[in-house]
Amino acid sequence: MGCCYSSENENTTQEETKPLISPNPPSKPLNGGTGWNPGTSSSALSNEQALLSSILTKTAQNIIDVSAADAIMVEPHEYMDRARQYSTKMTVLSTSLPQNKALALPSLTSQPHQVLASDLVPYSDVQQVSKIAAYAYSAISQIKVDAKEDLVVQFAIP
Amino acid sequence: MATAALTAGLERIPDQLGYLVISEDGVLASAGELENDEHTAGVMMQMVRTASRFRLSGSADPPFKRMSVILDDFVYTVTVSGQKVFVVKRQHNQKEPISV
Repeated sequence: MGCCYSSENENTTQEETKPLISPNPPSKPLNGGTGWNPGTSSSALSNEQALLSSILTKTAQNIIDVSAADAIMVEPHEYMDRARQYSTKMTVLSTSLPQNKALALPSLTSQPHQVLASDLVPYSDVQQVSKIAAYAYSAISQIKVDAKEDLVVQFAIP
Repeated sequence: MATAALTAGLERIPDQLGYLVISEDGVLASAGELENDEHTAGVMMQMVRTASRFRLSGSADPPFKRMSVILDDFVYTVTVSGQKVFVVKRQHNQKEPISV
């Protein structure tokens, strides 16, 4: 299906693809890194700190903090324009997507009234099918494993 | 096909106790003992959807025209035509075949 930023259409304008909220670069230094593990040597500690700070950087780059962002300045007419653009794009996409053939119910008949009004299944047929199903069930329930040898053997080491 | 045209034929089915006409969006028409019976509609839809996926080997089409759910006193007969599912509840009092 594609992730949020994937796009097959290279003609999108800069306005459309510019993120609304710029990703927040990490400004907080990693605190609590010193002294929490007094046993390790200083070089191992700085490696750990470097790892932790890289993880923090990566996470911060992937997270968009909505509350910390500045107020979004969008002109009302521009807002309406964008809303209209998005909704037309949505309708175009939804109509052009192929219908899921597998989920559509196949038509069984073109004469539903005739098919539904015709004679019901004779009781003798129902009895016979029930008997056959009972035999099949009984046969299947008798399937069992006939263990002849052990499944796990020891290799004989001379 | 107008709903009236769909249901008129179902009304005339002998010994019918009620019917449902169901589409992907929901119940289009209902009458008799099946009037407003959304639960039965849901169950029948699921059953016929599952059954219409059966295929006999070497065939591309579903191997049946009508699905019958046979209970003690009545039968639900179900078929699909033109993206619509038709369910008719009919009287069923054949038990032992009477041999004279």
